[in-house]
Amino acid sequence: MNTTIAVLVIVALLVVLVITQYNKLIRLNNNVSEAFAQIEVQLRRRSDLIPNLVETVKGYASHEKETFEKVIAARAQATAAQGVHDVAAADGALTQALRGLLAVSEAYPDLKASANFSQLQEELAATENKVAFARQYYNDSVNQLNSTVQAIPGMFFAPLAKVSVREFYEVEDPAARNAPKVQF
Amino acid sequence: MAVSFKAMQAANKRKTILLIAMMASLTAFVVYVVGLYFGVASTGLIPLVVFISVGGTWWSYYASDRIVLTMTGARVIDENDAPQLYNIVNEVVIASGMPMPKVAIVEDDAPNAFATGRDPEHAVIAFTTGILRVMDREQLQGVAAHEMAHVANRDTLVSAVAATTAGAIALMSDMVARIMWFGGGDRDRDRNANPIVLIGVVIVVILAPLAAMLLRSAISRNRESLADATGVEFTRNPAGLRRALEQLEQDSTVVRQRSTSVAHVWIESPLDSSFTSKMFATHPPLSERIATLKAIEDGSYDNK
Repeated sequence: MNTTIAVLVIVALLVVLVITQYNKLIRLNNNVSEAFAQIEVQLRRRSDLIPNLVETVKGYASHEKETFEKVIAARAQATAAQGVHDVAAADGALTQALRGLLAVSEAYPDLKASANFSQLQEELAATENKVAFARQYYNDSVNQLNSTVQAIPGMFFAPLAKVSVREFYEVEDPAARNAPKVQF
Repeated sequence: MAVSFKAMQAANKRKTILLIAMMASLTAFVVYVVGLYFGVASTGLIPLVVFISVGGTWWSYYASDRIVLTMTGARVIDENDAPQLYNIVNEVVIASGMPMPKVAIVEDDAPNAFATGRDPEHAVIAFTTGILRVMDREQLQGVAAHEMAHVANRDTLVSAVAATTAGAIALMSDMVARIMWFGGGDRDRDRNANPIVLIGVVIVVILAPLAAMLLRSAISRNRESLADATGVEFTRNPAGLRRALEQLEQDSTVVRQRSTSVAHVWIESPLDSSFTSKMFATHPPLSERIATLKAIEDGSYDNK
């Protein structure tokens, strides 16, 4: 009689353990997907700002053709990118191209003084920060998931939940990692 | 640095738990002494007292967004009213992974900010017009992160719990004091006439509310330090908040509405320091907070 109760208690505890571990893995995995979606939303917002920005700068600095082309090419590449690795690479390239464009605009006082440009600058600075924070949040989520999947007891349940280690979002440009500190 | 703010948060959390536990023991002790004094027959009053203070605080917690907004005269704004401020809050929100709170502006020249709301879904973050005028983008981001940290750490709930227990203790002490002075008649039979108990009751009646207020202030100060650490975790940029606090330190303007009941919600204590001694302060001294942030910045922070 006592043995039956003991067995039942152990079985019940095991069931609870399986359920909580399974749910935890699913939750962490969904967090990562959601965080990646947030990066994509912010990258899209940045892409949407670019045509307007390029047009504004063109109005004052029409002969900086090469810089515009670089930005437009990087934007096209970023729009086409798929998957964590490619999106991150295209993101880094575009960040660098934009920095080039803003460096060029430093040389045109009329441009810098225009209300439209300062508004765009604020939007761009904010979007750049949002992209950087979205990356940071994504990487934190991946870190949490990966540590759980690789450690005990998570590693025993990961195959059951069909959850595995996810890829970090790594931007090639080392300066881009400190983007929150960049003030345009 | 990555490790130290986590350790800092853990230490702060342990301290809050300890303070709340002390608060609970204090309440239990007061209830016990009051029970001892009245004898068992009259202890029926205690649930009533607890009910009143829990009910009152529950309402102020549940409706905290509306109540605090009305008391401070804050006006909720949208993206078009203040695009930069809205952007800054949105950035910090993305870093924290929390839902977007309402953003509000208080017409006041003193630079200050606060966060309220019963849960992240009903959160409000408010800035004074003064803070928007004197601070740059990076500083405002640090302030927004500190306020968002209050939301993330559920400090409205913590301060509601602290206020409830402090309120209940004050109510009980007050009741006992009144009955001791003015009480008479038949109920005297239940009372414990032992002089030692009597002296104990007098001491408790005088000291308990004071102790409760001290604990409440300590909890508030502790939550401020925790919000600084959590805010830095969001932005990974201690310099922003540090520079913002330095700016506040230089500034001597005090928020016009210096109601003590909402003092704890602001980033900087709105009360003039001559009115509040350090023990009763709702905020740690700015110089201490700045020093901690500086230590995080140059990596010399070690967890005491």
